[in-house]
Amino acid sequence: MIRFILRRLLSGVILIFVISTVAYLLLYLGGGDIARRILGQSATAATVAQKAHALGLDQPLFVQYGQWLSHAVTGSLGSSWFTSQPVTAAITSRLSVTLSLVIGATIISAIVSVILGVLAATRRGWVDRVVQIFTILGFAIPGFLVALALVTVFAIDLKIFKPTGFVQFATSPGGWAATVTLPIIALALGGIAGVTQQIRGSVIDALRQDYVRTLRSRGLSNTRVVYKHVLRNAGGPALAILAVQFVGLFGGAVIIEQIFAIPGLGQVAVIATTQGDIPLVMGLVVATAIIVVVVNLIIDLLQGFLNPKVRLS
Amino acid sequence: MFRWKRLTAIAAVVALGLTGCAAGGSDSSSGTPTTLTLGVLVPATTFEASGLNWANESPYGQAVYDSLLRGNPDGSIAPNLATDYTYNADKTVLTLKLRTDVKFTDGTALDASAVAQNLLRFRDGTSPNKSYLAAVADATATDTSTVTITLKASDPSLLSNLTRNAGMVESPAAFTKADVATNPVGSGPYILDVAKTVVGTSYVFEKNPNYWKPADVHYDNLTLSVFSDATALLNAIKGGQVNATNTASNNDLDQITAAGFTINPLELNWTGLMLIDRDGTSNPALGDVRVRQAINYAFDTKALLQAVGQGYGTPTSQIFPKTSVGYDPALDSAYTYDPAKAKALLAAAGYANGLTLQMPSTSLLGTAVFTLYAQQLKDVGITVNFTDAGNNYISDVLAPKYGSYYFILQEDPDWALIQFSIAPTATFNSYHTQNATVDALIEKIHNGSQADSDQAVKDLNKYVVDNAWFAPWYRMQSSFATDAHTKVTVQADNAYPYLWNFTPIS
Repeated sequence: MIRFILRRLLSGVILIFVISTVAYLLLYLGGGDIARRILGQSATAATVAQKAHALGLDQPLFVQYGQWLSHAVTGSLGSSWFTSQPVTAAITSRLSVTLSLVIGATIISAIVSVILGVLAATRRGWVDRVVQIFTILGFAIPGFLVALALVTVFAIDLKIFKPTGFVQFATSPGGWAATVTLPIIALALGGIAGVTQQIRGSVIDALRQDYVRTLRSRGLSNTRVVYKHVLRNAGGPALAILAVQFVGLFGGAVIIEQIFAIPGLGQVAVIATTQGDIPLVMGLVVATAIIVVVVNLIIDLLQGFLNPKVRLS
Repeated sequence: MFRWKRLTAIAAVVALGLTGCAAGGSDSSSGTPTTLTLGVLVPATTFEASGLNWANESPYGQAVYDSLLRGNPDGSIAPNLATDYTYNADKTVLTLKLRTDVKFTDGTALDASAVAQNLLRFRDGTSPNKSYLAAVADATATDTSTVTITLKASDPSLLSNLTRNAGMVESPAAFTKADVATNPVGSGPYILDVAKTVVGTSYVFEKNPNYWKPADVHYDNLTLSVFSDATALLNAIKGGQVNATNTASNNDLDQITAAGFTINPLELNWTGLMLIDRDGTSNPALGDVRVRQAINYAFDTKALLQAVGQGYGTPTSQIFPKTSVGYDPALDSAYTYDPAKAKALLAAAGYANGLTLQMPSTSLLGTAVFTLYAQQLKDVGITVNFTDAGNNYISDVLAPKYGSYYFILQEDPDWALIQFSIAPTATFNSYHTQNATVDALIEKIHNGSQADSDQAVKDLNKYVVDNAWFAPWYRMQSSFATDAHTKVTVQADNAYPYLWNFTPIS
């Protein structure tokens, strides 16, 4: 078990190294004149050249990357070129915001899709058809469109929620709920569609198994059969999809955070990438890679807990 | 069914609870507002005084620092930290007398030594506007309240520059602090609340309780919220989350006024073509004044104003702003749309069969504009070959890689505008066009008497228009939006109104 975790962590480190190298290369290729972009059109050529020198942009690529890497290994990711904020502070302060959204959306989509999936699989008939239509709609309508509609109706017209911004839970739980509810709904919708379909299919499969008939014949209530036995068997594939979606939600958060002006990782990623804020983008790449590696490891362990068949001997 | 009812009931309770919280959280109560929330389009690059940006970033600096001089809304200059400012005869030594009752928020006194150190740090710092103080040879504290600035050569822009970021004064004790870029120590009307601030997103300030000029502080709290996305900004306006904000474009003005906001218009930029290769280095055609004039006549500027600028702006042929002493209303229509005349001028220059120009394009400035103006040039026989410069548009045009290109350029006060767009060394005179007439006029503007200088600005403006150094289409309207609780006086020479010109309406 410990050897398994160590091996996964080691491959994670290699993965992070590869990803960061590729990202640096891409940033460099697409970078252009970053010093000019920082200073704007009113700066003189001499000022721009001085800035480029100060940032090390006049050095060869491998020297720049080597310097970044040697600092990164010691935990120093530098400061943003466009806001002067230390990169580690920029990421940690925003990580909790994005996690609020992503974890919230994951929990909501897990709960809602279990309810809908089980309903569709056990009732069948018109309930099933309605759920199917909703999931197809959920797939088809892009999250940002839902977000825009939600803002217009619930924030601007009805004024129930806030149209933009974010309030920390610790500052005001009510304010937090007023700012995160709409983004979470917008984010969760796609996830609900995917996981509901998966649970519906797995539950239908599981219900046909012999052990279900046996359990029923022993007089167990339908609720007990479905929620205690069938769902546990059907949960594995759904969990795998949920895990993929959890990582995918970080991508979805990029757009949702832009629309709601939420100071999360997604928003800062969009701004930093278009500006060419290399230290900040590289910090984000490393942070995201770490999250992906860790989440995948946790999911693997959870799978083993749920399903003894995938456990390593 | 029973379970559904219970679920609905819970949902209703939760929704009601949220409504209660949301309503309790907003502070739009009756009476005079004590909090000002401003929308800004860019985050603060840095709060370190020696690296401060200006224009759209000006409210960050103005919140925490005082400037030596103050810019009035019309661009004229008034005392501030410096109560008196006098030049010697040839304007190479400027003496500033300082107030003696000003303290930084760390408790130390703002004295002549602090001012002198700040001036030299700005000159040698990393601000994009560090050239504001390029003429400064030295700055010394003659006594605790007198600063003497010696110049390498006189600079007509210096006083104006000292009203901006170049004149801001930071506590010397903060110079060496590790967090100098994000935790400023100044003497300004507000103090940055570092704990409540989310860098890059929202900057929260509290009133400086010991501010020396309390009459200028109209609010107890100030928040600068950054909106990099136009949709988010529009939603914040509709949701009443900002009291006032700058706008990135005029696309949403109808919706902004429908939300109860007032638009405060201002003309800060001109847009059109830069015809910078006036010696014909990259393309001999551009060296011929008739070709450059033909390009001016080829543009239906009113149609371009409607199509590109949604009608918000004023057609013009000159690059000097209305506030300039050189401004001439007649020059706004020096070149009116006349394709026949354009063709005749091209024929006279030997291009009866047309010519081809190389120009850059970028999606950053929109896509329609390039198609539209290329079509108008095509109509008189000029073909434009575009190269997509993407993110490198500005560096490519300044390189210079092109003899002519589309641009949006700021209209600074006269001397700054000349140094920026016209002088041989100007950033946007990338081919360094120079001739005796222009040199003589610039010399007169620099060193002549006030009357001579004013006349020379007029003459220079006319010369540049007659010789078609540019092909302006129109002055663009910038739109600053304010809600029903907020009054503002816009600043003639800055993209963002100055902070003390925001006042609450009770």
